[in-house]
Amino acid sequence: MSGYYIPSEGLQSFAQSLMAKMPVVAPVAKGKRFIFDQLGDVAELRLDYDTTVLPPKKVFFPPKQDLLEFDEGKATSCLDPQAKVLLGVHPYDIKAISMTDKLFSDNYADSNYLANREVAVIIGSNVQTPYERAFYGSIAQDLELVGHDAFLTKISDGYVLDVVTEKGEKLIADLGLADASAEQTSEAEGVNAKADEDCPVKLPFAAGDVSEKVRNSFKSEIWDELSKDCFSCGSCNLVCPTCYCFDVQDEWGLGASNGKRYRRWDGCLSSEFSEVSVQGGSENFRENRAERYRHRFMRKTAYLNDKLGAPACVGCGRCAGACTADIADPVNTITRIMES
Amino acid sequence: MAKVRCAWFDFTSCEGCQIEMTNFGAPFLQLLDHVEIVEFREVMKETTDEPIDIAFIEGSFSREEDRARLESIRERAGVVIAFGACAATGGINALKNHMDMDDYKKCVYGDDSNMPHLDTQKAMPISAAIKVDMAINGCPMSRDEFVRIVTQVIHGTEKVYVPSYPVCVECKLRETVCRYEEGDHCLGPIALAGCGAPCPADGIPCEACRGMVVDANQESMEKVLQENGGMSEKRAKDKSRMFTANFRSDA
Repeated sequence: MSGYYIPSEGLQSFAQSLMAKMPVVAPVAKGKRFIFDQLGDVAELRLDYDTTVLPPKKVFFPPKQDLLEFDEGKATSCLDPQAKVLLGVHPYDIKAISMTDKLFSDNYADSNYLANREVAVIIGSNVQTPYERAFYGSIAQDLELVGHDAFLTKISDGYVLDVVTEKGEKLIADLGLADASAEQTSEAEGVNAKADEDCPVKLPFAAGDVSEKVRNSFKSEIWDELSKDCFSCGSCNLVCPTCYCFDVQDEWGLGASNGKRYRRWDGCLSSEFSEVSVQGGSENFRENRAERYRHRFMRKTAYLNDKLGAPACVGCGRCAGACTADIADPVNTITRIMES
Repeated sequence: MAKVRCAWFDFTSCEGCQIEMTNFGAPFLQLLDHVEIVEFREVMKETTDEPIDIAFIEGSFSREEDRARLESIRERAGVVIAFGACAATGGINALKNHMDMDDYKKCVYGDDSNMPHLDTQKAMPISAAIKVDMAINGCPMSRDEFVRIVTQVIHGTEKVYVPSYPVCVECKLRETVCRYEEGDHCLGPIALAGCGAPCPADGIPCEACRGMVVDANQESMEKVLQENGGMSEKRAKDKSRMFTANFRSDA
């Protein structure tokens, strides 16, 4: 729709003016890493972040989310969507959000996700410092970058803000931002056009070839070898921007008749994820770690491709960094399978 | 609803889990609307020989002569809950399990080590002596988990959900930066969760005080402790012994 220019020294006051309208969730430093968190002090904003520990989906789909409270047989929804700005989302995470949007809307519309999603305004930003394990430049390339409302691109002397939806336009309408000049717009286009070239890791295989080869390796013993050091800790699932599985539990409260139902992120690497109750006992349909490890790669490279139009991986590299045993990196695993 | 009769008992332990209860404050006081405490020597003089609804047993089973008392508690109690790491897993007491009794007695008691009451066997969870219905794990036991589990039990729930996954899950859910990414070490990948991972969130490595997950990948843990945690092979091997002696492949 339209492009605006924000000088470097004007970024904080831009964020400040958004904070005056609604809570702003943006990347901030935490230890040696970064996380998306609600900005308290605008000086905490770090658009130069490499990547965050957890992906921004947590804003719509919190790691632990109360679903309903019950008392005397009556249930009340815990849904309470709060409008907020999600600022500084990298393109790979925007793609991942467009995937979870689809996954939570298809077949059964998940109101607990969608209600939070609908009231959020997403302002993306280009990657200024690529994460060392990232390979977004060579995966999910056919997937259109959609779902955000505006996008900030860092140029030599400031930022170009591209507003792409009415929701975005409405948010910034009264901020009195200057229009971007033709030179500024073209510099921003140049930055974004070469963004993928700066991505540190490359996955040198086409998605279709990977999908076919991984499927055909289902019965291979390679999975035992690849998962030998796996802890089944599920860190790769939990930091993944496209994982969307959860577990639901009910809990009594202290009163005689009240309680609540909540959900918590879950993942297929965890052993209890595949445990089901069978005739009073239980059965695990992916009992060993190799089966669970294989399942994750099937999901990421093959099973969801038709539904999503791309593999369910955007190359953020979070799983590679989060795995203490360093066996979760899709680039290493896919390469090993392609060469087998 | 009649109040649920609860009693606390201790065996080989520091009684720190019972002390932890007395530090509890509001949620515990709220619980008192629903439970009646009939024996708890940290806070009251009264004892009971009557039937009990819930018996909380702290401490490991480390002397054969304790078996009769454990059995009498079991007979009187509707539900027996292992209260804290020692009762649930043998806990830190099991550190001696791979040593010779004369050695550890001398190491701890010096010249007095020949006194007969110091003769002990391997420190085992109380489930080695009696049937245990559930466990509130941790060193000390987790107060939040205590309230959660007891709340379910007083509602008559027979099987309360407790996680079987490792501590890494809870660190991720609260977005704690991994100790390994901060250049530290941690036993989180093999440590049983349920505590909410407060230690790594405070910058302290997990010591697996709740024991290990089922099917813990100990070989991989030793490798990670060496390669990422900078430990020697021996230290990496010994590292997980503090709270997990009864889980180890060399137990």
